[in-house]
Amino acid sequence: MRRVAMVGAGMTPFGELFGLGIKDMVPMAVGEAVASVDRGLDRSDIEAAWFGELVPSDGFASGILADSCGLLDIPVSRLENACATGNDAVRHGTMAVASGMYDVVLVAGADKVRETSARTTFWDWMGMTRDMAWDFPLGLVAPANFALHVSRYLYESPATREHMALVAVKNHHHGVSNPKAQLRFEITVDQVLTAPMVVEPFGLYDCTPQSDGAAAVLLVAEDVVDRYTDRPVWVRGVGLGLDRVMHAHKPDMTSFPPTIKAARQAYAMAGIGPADIDVAEVHDCFSGVELINYEDLGFCDRFEAYKLIEAGETAVGGRIPVNPSGGLKAKGHPPGATGIAQCYELFAQLRGEANLQVDGARWALAHNVGGPTAVSAITILSTERA
Amino acid sequence: MIEAIGTYLPVWGSATGRVPGEDEDVVTMAVAAGRGALADPGTPVDTVVLISRELPLLEGGNGAPLLAGLDLELTVDVREEIGGAPAALEAVTNARPGTLVIAADVQGGAGAAAVRCGSAGPAVGSLGRVTRSLPVVTRDASGTVTEYADPRLLRERGVRRSLERLGPLGSVVAVAGLARRDAEQLTGAEGLPALPTTGASAALFALAEVAEGAAGGPVLAVEQATVALVELGPGPVAVHRDEAPPRSQPVTRPGAHADIAVSLAAYDRAFDAKLRLVAERCTTCGTLAYPARFRCLTCGSEAETAPVALPRDAVVYTVATIHVPVPGLSTPYTVILAELGDSAVRLLVRLTGAEAGSVGIGDRGRLVFRRVAVRTGVPDYGYAFTPEGPAEVAA
Repeated sequence: MRRVAMVGAGMTPFGELFGLGIKDMVPMAVGEAVASVDRGLDRSDIEAAWFGELVPSDGFASGILADSCGLLDIPVSRLENACATGNDAVRHGTMAVASGMYDVVLVAGADKVRETSARTTFWDWMGMTRDMAWDFPLGLVAPANFALHVSRYLYESPATREHMALVAVKNHHHGVSNPKAQLRFEITVDQVLTAPMVVEPFGLYDCTPQSDGAAAVLLVAEDVVDRYTDRPVWVRGVGLGLDRVMHAHKPDMTSFPPTIKAARQAYAMAGIGPADIDVAEVHDCFSGVELINYEDLGFCDRFEAYKLIEAGETAVGGRIPVNPSGGLKAKGHPPGATGIAQCYELFAQLRGEANLQVDGARWALAHNVGGPTAVSAITILSTERA
Repeated sequence: MIEAIGTYLPVWGSATGRVPGEDEDVVTMAVAAGRGALADPGTPVDTVVLISRELPLLEGGNGAPLLAGLDLELTVDVREEIGGAPAALEAVTNARPGTLVIAADVQGGAGAAAVRCGSAGPAVGSLGRVTRSLPVVTRDASGTVTEYADPRLLRERGVRRSLERLGPLGSVVAVAGLARRDAEQLTGAEGLPALPTTGASAALFALAEVAEGAAGGPVLAVEQATVALVELGPGPVAVHRDEAPPRSQPVTRPGAHADIAVSLAAYDRAFDAKLRLVAERCTTCGTLAYPARFRCLTCGSEAETAPVALPRDAVVYTVATIHVPVPGLSTPYTVILAELGDSAVRLLVRLTGAEAGSVGIGDRGRLVFRRVAVRTGVPDYGYAFTPEGPAEVAA
C-alpha cells in the first residue's frame, strides 16, 4: 500500500449562499484547492475524482463536478454516506491512491441545504432518510435523532445542559477567528441556556446552522509528492463504522458505536492512539454530541467528557483542542462538504497556517457521525510520513 | 343480551365536552372503547358494528385498522353504519350474540362506547322507533355541515311530536342525544344521568349508565326528529371506563401544509405488525425483532420466525420534545423510545394524552392505538405512549 499525501485544500465560505448554485460552489472550492498546491498542479494531472453530496442539487451530481470543474476526461463518482459523506469521500480517495491505481485524485464535497425553505429542509430530507412506514410519520426530524441520544446521555452521565452550553460557547469563540465560518460571533452560557428551544434538550445555540458550502482536497501518492510540495500532510488513517439504523435497535444510546468502530480502524492504521492526537475536528452538529464524541474517540473515559469541557482542555490552548475552525456549530454544516472542510482546517493546522493555530500540531483527527447516528467516518492526518 | 360495556373519552376538553387529540379519530376512539368491552372473556366476537356520522373514510377502509386495533381476526364481519344515537340503540337491540357494537363521535362531545352482545347479561328489547324529518342540521357527502339553528323548532315540532307519536315512554331512566335539561322537560323524567356525548355513542353511554345501576329501565335515544326507545333489563354488567378527568388541551402551533406521499407498498408490508403490535421471534435464538427482519439481530439466523404479541406496558428509555416548527405537524410534540414490558423490545412512538415534554426517562405508561399521521389521504395508524394514570376502572 502506498503512502498518501494531501497537497492542497480549498473551501468556499460556509453560510446561506443564496447567490451561488452547486455549479458555482464546487468549482470555487476545487479551484482554491488546486491553487493552494505549493508548486502548482495542472488539472490534467488529476486522474479521478470523488464527489460527496448528501442531497443532489440541480441534478446529476458526478456530472456536475466533472462539467463545472473541467474534468470531463476522468472518472468521477458521487458518494453518499449521510453526514459522514465528507470523511468517507476522503477515505475513498485515499484507497484509490494507496492502491496504486491513481497518483493524483480530487476529493470534493458540497451541499446546498438552503436551496429549499428553511422551514421545510429537514422535513424534505426526512422522506429520503427515514423508514417510510415505521419512523417517518412520527416527525423524527434531524435534531430529534440526536436529542434522543443526548437526553439519555444527560440522564446517565454527570454532564448537564451547562456543559453542552460550554461546548457551544467554545466553538463560537473559535469560529470568530475563521473568516469562512457562518456564525462569527461570541455567545455566553446564559445565552445558550435561555435561547428558544429547538428540540429539547437543544436550544437554538446548541444547534448547527443550516449551511451551503463546498470543500475539496487533493490527494497524491508518495511517489509523486515532491512534484507538488515539500511539506505535505499525510493521510495516516481512515475508518468507517456503521450501526443499526433504527434507534429501537441501538442498545445503548449514550454512545455512537459507529464512531468507536471507525476510530479503532483509523488509530490502528495510523499506529497511534487518542493520546497522540494534537488537534481534532469533530462532528458537533449539536453541542451535546461533541461531549459524546470525546468519549467515543477516546479523548477521555466514559461519562467524563464534562471534565474536559469544564477544564477548558478542548479549547485552543488546552490539552486536546477540538474544533479550532468553529466546528459545525459556528463554521456551518453543508453535510457533503463538512468532513472535507474539517480536513481543510487540519491541513492548515498541520502546516502551521491555521487562523487559530494549535502550536506544534503533528497529529490531527477529523470525525463525522450521522445517518441517523448509524455511520461515522474518521480521517487521521499527520506531518509524519511514517 | 349485554355481556360487557367499554367506554372511552379523550383526556382533552372540559366537563361540558371532550375534544379528540390530533392523533385521534373515530377509529382510534372505537378501538379504545372496544378494547374495554373485550377486556374480560365472553362470547367470541364474529361481527363488529361501528356507528358514527364521522367515519374517517367513506372509501378505502376503516374496518381493517379497527379489527387490528381490537386484536380481532381479519375474518370478522365489520359493518360501518352512518347514524346517531337512535341507530346505535337499535344496533344493540338487533345484535346477535357475538356482536360488538361500537359508536363513536367527534363533534358534540368526543368519545366512544362499545357494547359486547352475547348470551349472558341483561337483555335489550325495542319499545319503538319513529323516523321523521326536521333537518336543522345537514351534512352532505363531502362532510360539509349546514345548520339551520332553531333549537325551539327542533324541540317543539321535531322531538316532542316524535315522542307523542312513539306513545307512552314509561319511566325513562336515560336519554341520549339531548341536553339533560331538554331531556327532562320533554320526558318529564327527573335526575337523568348527564352523558358526555350527544351523537351515536351517547346511546351506548346511556346503556352504560343504566347498566351500572343494575336496575334497568327504558332508555330513549334522540337525533333531530328521530327517536328510538328500548328497555334494558335488570342485572349487572361489567363496564370498563377509560375516562380520565378532562384537561384543557395544550395550545400547539400547526405546521405548514406538507405531505410526503405515502408508500402503499411500505404501508402494506408494515400493516399487520404495526397495527397489531406483533413482533417476530427468532426460532433459532429467541430474539424478538420489531419490526420483523430478514436476518436475526442477535444470531444472524435467516430462518422462519414466529409472531409474538408485544406487551403494551412501557417505560420511557429516552425522549425528545420537538419545539421548532415542523411542516405537517403541530408543535411541540414529543417522541419517545419506549421499552415494552419485559420483552427487551423498544419502539419509537409519540406521546399522546399528555402535554408535550411532560414525561421523563423512567416514566411508566402504556401503548395505545392512535392515528400517527395522514399521508396522501391515508390514515396511518400505529401506537403512541400515554403516561400511567387512572385508566380502565371497572365498575
